Amino acid sequence: MGRYFRTLRRFWGMALASEVEYRFNLLIELVAVVANLASSLFVLSLFFGDGHRLGGWSWPAALVVLGVHQLLDGLTITLLQPNLTRIVSHVQEGTLDFVLLKPIDSQFWLSCRTISPWGLPPMLAGLAVIGWAAQRAGAPADPTTLVIAGLMLLCSAVILYSLWFLIAASSIWFVKIWNATEVLRTLLTAGRYPISAYPPGLRLLLTVVLPIAFLTSVPAEAILGRATASWLVASGALALMCLLISRWFWRFALRSYTSASS
Amino acid sequence: MAMISVEGLSKTYRVANKQPGLVGTLRHALRRQTTDVAAVADVSFRIEPGEMVGFLGGNGAGKTTTLKMLSGLIHPSAGRVEVAGHTPQRRQAPFLRQITLVMGQKQQLLWDLPPRDSLLLNAAVYGIDDREAERRIGELAAMLELGDELNRPVRKLSLGERMKAELLAALLHRPAVLFLDEPTLGLDVNAQARVRQFLAEYNQRFGATVLLTSHYMADITALCPRVLLIHQGRLFYDGSLAALSARLAPCREVRLELTTILPASSLERFGTIEALEGRTVRLLIRRDQLTARVGELLAALPVADLEVRDPPIDELIGTLLQQGVIG
Amino acid sequence: MRRGLRIARVLLSTQYALMLEYRAEIALWSLSGVVPLLMLGLWSQSEAGQALGLGATGLSRYFLAAFVVRQFTVVWVIHAFEEDALQGRLSPLLLQPLQPLWRYVAAHLAEQLTRLPFLAAIVAVVMLVHPQAAWWPSPGALLLTALFTWLGFAVNFLLQTSITMLCFWSERASALDRLLFFPYLALSGLLAPLEAFPPGVRSLALATPFAYQVAIPARLLAGEPVAIGPALAVLGAWLALLLPLCLILWRAGVRRYGAMGA
Repeated sequence: MGRYFRTLRRFWGMALASEVEYRFNLLIELVAVVANLASSLFVLSLFFGDGHRLGGWSWPAALVVLGVHQLLDGLTITLLQPNLTRIVSHVQEGTLDFVLLKPIDSQFWLSCRTISPWGLPPMLAGLAVIGWAAQRAGAPADPTTLVIAGLMLLCSAVILYSLWFLIAASSIWFVKIWNATEVLRTLLTAGRYPISAYPPGLRLLLTVVLPIAFLTSVPAEAILGRATASWLVASGALALMCLLISRWFWRFALRSYTSASS
Repeated sequence: MAMISVEGLSKTYRVANKQPGLVGTLRHALRRQTTDVAAVADVSFRIEPGEMVGFLGGNGAGKTTTLKMLSGLIHPSAGRVEVAGHTPQRRQAPFLRQITLVMGQKQQLLWDLPPRDSLLLNAAVYGIDDREAERRIGELAAMLELGDELNRPVRKLSLGERMKAELLAALLHRPAVLFLDEPTLGLDVNAQARVRQFLAEYNQRFGATVLLTSHYMADITALCPRVLLIHQGRLFYDGSLAALSARLAPCREVRLELTTILPASSLERFGTIEALEGRTVRLLIRRDQLTARVGELLAALPVADLEVRDPPIDELIGTLLQQGVIG
Repeated sequence: MRRGLRIARVLLSTQYALMLEYRAEIALWSLSGVVPLLMLGLWSQSEAGQALGLGATGLSRYFLAAFVVRQFTVVWVIHAFEEDALQGRLSPLLLQPLQPLWRYVAAHLAEQLTRLPFLAAIVAVVMLVHPQAAWWPSPGALLLTALFTWLGFAVNFLLQTSITMLCFWSERASALDRLLFFPYLALSGLLAPLEAFPPGVRSLALATPFAYQVAIPARLLAGEPVAIGPALAVLGAWLALLLPLCLILWRAGVRRYGAMGA
């Protein structure tokens, strides 16, 4: 009993120790979230002056899209960036072998190894924006809508993860293009705006080639109570397919990695 | 006039000390406590032009810090330092043209390009015209036995080749003063010998003043008639290497693993006891008596394992302090 | 003077050779700058975009110009410098009779040169897809664009270098650079033409260095009217402030580096 108390004290002691070092970081992150939100809101608002609409979406509705983007951005900072950008360093330093020797699935290990608490403020901010904007847009708040919206958001998260993972994992071959995830990040900013706001050519590109539509616009529709069965199914199917592709790709990458390094 | 003149040189760092545990963390957050650590304390010496001087000392003794203060990278906390008639920390261009600092692990050559590209850049920066630069590169490359390596990207060179190329780059502008910090660190025996030969030749040919730090005794013995011994930031000895060696009486360290524990008294007659821990004994035995004593050891003592090697600098200094030779 | 020119020539050619080794990465950095092209899609389709009165051609030219210009005003000295300081490469640089900051300027110019082919390729693709937007600026416009792009780069470089120097005192200083990114996004004209801003915000943008990193050079390149006099005045004021600040912070920063242990 005493041993458990001592261990607990040690754990919390260490947690508090890191807390003390990082309290300034927390302040910076909070300011960053506010600044980020302010600048995104400002740019978005430029499309809505004089009662204009964007791609047929109203201001509160478009805000929901922005909120979903913010939520996913927070998820990127929390989970995707700290983990997946390390794949390149593993390959460069040769420590990938150690990961492969662990009795845990390597994709899981590489994807979930660490977590960054600094992504939580953006995630919370995203949820806050979604909540406020959905209510303003008159979205139904019944359980069915909430569940469907939750499922769509989950599909988005899975698709986002798969996209990130595919690009990060390709660094097994191309260490020189480690910043490919940066290109992905900038392209993903297209998700701040409703998909219908884009010209037809881009719209096709952003639905089929890089499924950004499914990341933000489709869940936003679900939150606003406008989800249809076909989109739901498409989302789910896409999410599953993306996950399977990422799995298959990883297996393929590992095969070529292990056969190359002798 | 002395090339290098140092008086009362000191460098103190303020280090925060945090006690472990929860209480320590809270105290640290509320009121930081710091201690002053002296990396270099009250060091004084003069070096004349053309001298080759060795800086000897264990890890963390203060050699690198002193060298950095002499080159102007670090600002002294106290004391005066003058090199080639300038105050180093002002880093004036005429001063920088006369010195060079080579640090074993740090590099100035551009990693992805051949050394030749970095060399031509240095030539431009130091104002050496291209024809003269090519001549000097040829001359130094011949002395260092570097050929085609100069045309391959630096990342493709072995550590030895890289170090030689770094030396070339550092000496292209024919500085009057060379500061070399562990120049043979990590090199294989051949490369070490080559670098030592080169430095001796360079000093002979160009009359440069060389200040060399190392924790390899062999570097110092090969190159430096004069030695400065630094320990825990203080200068303990400044004089000829020969005199120091005589005191040290070239010793070798013998490490014994005994099968039973024996008291110090039974071991003292074989050599100076450096350390006695249970069944492990380390003795310092003079080189000229080595074979005889080891024979006696093996005959008289229950020895399980025996190893002979050069004593590390720290041990030597420790012994010197004990003997009262220094400090 | 002749020595200075010689150093500049050799420095630039060395840095260019170095950048060529990083072609793949640099190509991706160029690609990650396509956000203005996405915004072009949005603005040309939107009601608010129509109301700006620039016409489809005007919008296309502006955003294409914004894409090009931005590639030449981007500054990354804070990352390069911190990396060099961490790897111990800074000390040898401080011992050579050349102000180390010039090396970073040369690195930036060389990198811009290396981006040129990729940039040209992307511009060519856009012009193929939208032939009606294609144009060639007049020599006067080109000259003015070059001047203002270079001035915008200089201001940005000095600003970021000043912040970099602050890092000698506190690691947190790099957060300042991160935070400045958000007003840059909002006010630089990267995401929206100046015409879309409310008048108050427009004046604010034109008083900060941000508008001069994209909006003003892009307008000059696209052939839109720009008040040259006030623009030069504002840029001059910022340069007069930042140049001495940067040099003072550099000197103090190097002293601090020396005090801390180089």
